Amino acid sequence: MTGWYATTIIGISLGLVTWSAILLVTHRAPDLVLALGGVVLELLLIGFLIGGIVQMAGSEQDFARAEFVGYLLTGTAILPAAFIWARGDKSRAGLGVIAVAFLVLPVIVLRVQQVWAGSGV
Amino acid sequence: MSEQGLSPRIPSTGRGFGRVLVAIYAIFALAATARSVFQITTKFSEAPLAYLLSALAASIYVVATIALARGDRTSRRVAAGAILIELIGVLTIGTASLVWPGAFGVATVWSGFGSGYWFVPLVLPVVGLWWLRHTRSP
Repeated sequence: MTGWYATTIIGISLGLVTWSAILLVTHRAPDLVLALGGVVLELLLIGFLIGGIVQMAGSEQDFARAEFVGYLLTGTAILPAAFIWARGDKSRAGLGVIAVAFLVLPVIVLRVQQVWAGSGV
Repeated sequence: MSEQGLSPRIPSTGRGFGRVLVAIYAIFALAATARSVFQITTKFSEAPLAYLLSALAASIYVVATIALARGDRTSRRVAAGAILIELIGVLTIGTASLVWPGAFGVATVWSGFGSGYWFVPLVLPVVGLWWLRHTRSP
């Protein structure tokens, strides 16, 4: 549950946080980079969920399994939820919501890794 | 009741910056609720006081999120009440956790004024109350 895959997700998330901030500061609308980045990130998160469950199923290790799956599911739900909530306000606020979602994802990935390593709630 | 919500001129608590604020509240509501359910169902006896406080914090975040998102007159009152309790909670528990370390057994979301969450629990109610005041109809 550690390694390059999780690091890639964190890297892309933080990159998109930065890009959202640039768009916000320069008063620009969400662009293709943000949209494509978001789609790629969501696909990676779905992969993370599936990979995590597969790894968990094959592991004898003792850790908080329900919590682990909870974080993985939350990770996949955040971007779609933020997208729906952001659509309700097409001003810069919508972009702000998306930026918050990108900012939260690295925290969730880190929590997934912590739970996997055995430090629970 | 909803004459305010229908008028686009009057700012609502769920629009503009409020959109972002509701998103942040929603994340705290979700995180605190999930954590609380997990703590209470699996290890409640370890630190009942801390886990009850966490559950209280979680329910306040849920109420504040929904009330801010709705933004009608009643919801504004509910939001103000919830956020005020949230502020009092984080200040009280924050102070208590420093004066009597270990009093709660384990850390709650409000311990150390929310230091475990980058002090967001301390900043959030202040911003929330400011936002309610800012969007108050003239």
